[in-house]
Amino acid sequence: MRVVVAEDLFLLRDGLVRLLDAHGFEVAAAVEDAPGLLTALISERPDVAIVDVRLPPTFTDDGLRAAIEARRQVPGLPVLVLSQYVEQLYARELLADRAGGVGYLLKDRVFNDDQFVDAVRTVADGGTVMDTEVVTKLLGRRATEEALARLSAREREVLELMAEGRSNSAIAQRLFVTEKAVSKHSTSIFTKLDLVPSDDDNRRVLAVLAYLNG
Amino acid sequence: MSVHAQDLVLPVLAAGLVAAAVVIRIRTNGTEAAKGRRGLLRELGWCAALLVLSVIVMSSISSLPLPGNLSSWWIALPVVAAIIIIISWPRIAARIVPVALIFYGLSGFVVARDYAVGGVINSYGVTAVGNPGFQADLILPQAYGLLLLGGWLVLRSADPVLVRLRRRLGPVADAPLGQQLRTLALVPVVAVLAGLLAPRLWLAGGAALILTPLLLFGVLLVIRRWPVRAAQLATAGLLCAGIAGLAITAAWRSGSTVISEQCSISPQPPPVPQPTARLSVPAQPGKAASVHVTPVYSGSKPVCVPTPSQAFAGGGTAADVADVVWGQALPYGAVLVDSSDTAVAAGVEGLALLALGTWLAPQTFPLVRRMLGGTPDKELTKRVERLTQSRAVAVDTASADLRRLERDLHDGAQARLVALGMNLRAAERLIPTSPEAAIALVAEARRTSVMALMELRELVRGVLPPVLADRGLADAVRALALDSPLHVETEIDLPGRAPAPLETACYFAVAELLTNAAKHSGARGARIAVSHSGRLLRIEVTDFGLGGADPAKGSGLAGVERRLATFDGILAVSSPIGGPTMVVMEVPCVLSSPKTSSC
Repeated sequence: MRVVVAEDLFLLRDGLVRLLDAHGFEVAAAVEDAPGLLTALISERPDVAIVDVRLPPTFTDDGLRAAIEARRQVPGLPVLVLSQYVEQLYARELLADRAGGVGYLLKDRVFNDDQFVDAVRTVADGGTVMDTEVVTKLLGRRATEEALARLSAREREVLELMAEGRSNSAIAQRLFVTEKAVSKHSTSIFTKLDLVPSDDDNRRVLAVLAYLNG
Repeated sequence: MSVHAQDLVLPVLAAGLVAAAVVIRIRTNGTEAAKGRRGLLRELGWCAALLVLSVIVMSSISSLPLPGNLSSWWIALPVVAAIIIIISWPRIAARIVPVALIFYGLSGFVVARDYAVGGVINSYGVTAVGNPGFQADLILPQAYGLLLLGGWLVLRSADPVLVRLRRRLGPVADAPLGQQLRTLALVPVVAVLAGLLAPRLWLAGGAALILTPLLLFGVLLVIRRWPVRAAQLATAGLLCAGIAGLAITAAWRSGSTVISEQCSISPQPPPVPQPTARLSVPAQPGKAASVHVTPVYSGSKPVCVPTPSQAFAGGGTAADVADVVWGQALPYGAVLVDSSDTAVAAGVEGLALLALGTWLAPQTFPLVRRMLGGTPDKELTKRVERLTQSRAVAVDTASADLRRLERDLHDGAQARLVALGMNLRAAERLIPTSPEAAIALVAEARRTSVMALMELRELVRGVLPPVLADRGLADAVRALALDSPLHVETEIDLPGRAPAPLETACYFAVAELLTNAAKHSGARGARIAVSHSGRLLRIEVTDFGLGGADPAKGSGLAGVERRLATFDGILAVSSPIGGPTMVVMEVPCVLSSPKTSSC
């Protein structure tokens, strides 16, 4: 699987490249600024890009903007955005095209390399991965709503993990229940929130995120 | 003396309204019990005021200029509906009541006009119908009082701009010279237009009912959109009105206008050919005891007509005077000028308005201050005082922020890094002997590093939020709206970026206000509007909660105000019981280069 990495700090860039190498990814390009990222994304057409939000030249949100621009030119180009902070505003902008194949994680998540690599693979497969912090905030905002209040505690847990972008089997593993139980919960959630059910993991995640962002 | 059922309608409805008023007070203030004796007295005062108001409204509701002969019973229906609304939806009622006050106030002008021009007697407020002691003098003060009360309530709940104007005319002083001159040039135009329109509105009572709310709306719009210009126009209006009052008095005293009391004011008495005329002209104005009801005619044109009060003094009744074409009476402020006494009252009123206008003029027109030679020293001293104060606050705030930062770093991230180092060292020792224990220690070290990162993140967010640094105030406010537990609508129109320190201050001000709204107001929704015009950055934060926020009580609002003062910014709060709470912040600033389009 070919990856483009964009990170301006040498230490972190090097660490990321080594981590990806160790897990069998092929790093097609490792760039250090936004214009370089855009060129690499358009010319290399990687399977997935890992992008830091803050990049030169302006050291603001250049990375994010370059990623969104690249996805505008190449629809559905999988991009996993890393940042020291997660902002709902940025999550919303990344999700705006509803094409899937996006991720938005705190940089700390790299510490747990298994989960991080899973996330990279999910995004490369067209899935959506959101940081726990984003999901917690999204749910917190709408906690008082009637539809969400109707969910049981277990269903909320499943909803949270679903919004983070996990597949049914990953959720089952995490909650120590059977996959069948998870799919029962998810059917119930979709009924209670009045959403159109779907067998496809990716579409289900997008539907849940769209609902929470709405 | 038999009592008709119809006579009972108004008292019964009045009692109902009073009961409703008590209920509305209890319901809208239920969350906050009256604190102490002063709070209780204030509550009682409110109830008494509502009681008096209800009695006034109910005792005279039949005088509303409704088409046809609507009986009290028909009027009772909307009143009953109003009571139901007050009890069921106190917040809606709180919005309807001021409008009702304004309309009832306006109907006073119609009653006064009908009386002055057509001799029609209607009851209005405490002025009862059919009473020989009908006191026309009381109509206009009541009407103006109700209009003022209603207008005040509307302004209080609509926009705290007036609070702002009252508290500080700072931005006015900054108005460029050209604008001041343009506004000054506008004054005679407005005065002439008002002079042309006013008598027509006065004579067309029905039209006034429709046009006056429109005018009021226009005034509100001007105040909201151009507060500086509104202050200047108001000053000019006061001066014009004051001069007009003096002119009326002068005209009356010199006898150059048609007045009924003396019948004629031309130097030569008008020919009174009919020997049947029975009107005696008193030598002394004001002593009109001998005036009779019969008007004096020259051909078919009355040349000498008594006012209604003279007619009543002469023993006439409403029926006697109903068909008479009355003499000219002029409304001025709270008085209806139809005798020399009321003319003097108009003069006094005019003087008061003139004095108010003169007092305001140097404040609203710095030009005038310059022309007067003013006292720049006083202004400068004031300014220096303000600057000294705000500088002290700025320095205090900055040093407090630094100290907080140091403490947070010391107790948080630094401590965690020390723990991390110790864990790693311990792991280092354990690797040869018990690698499993070493692994557990390393895992703990990793968790510690995550915690340290989290704490640093929170710290940075408190110093300079990332979205603010990346995108500026507009998107940072949008991000705040998204992060708030409330449903927040944003309406942001910023064509450029404000200076960075100002953006930060405004950001934290909005954050504080949103936190307050989420914590205390009980609101589910809020609205933030940010705009920039005329070198002023304006931010409005409105929540649709219970209201009753008091900047004097909570230290949060006062803190925001102090921080904004560093930038010459001001903050005004409008938070009537029952909501909504609206906080307006205005800070003078110039925006830098227009937004760069995203790449």
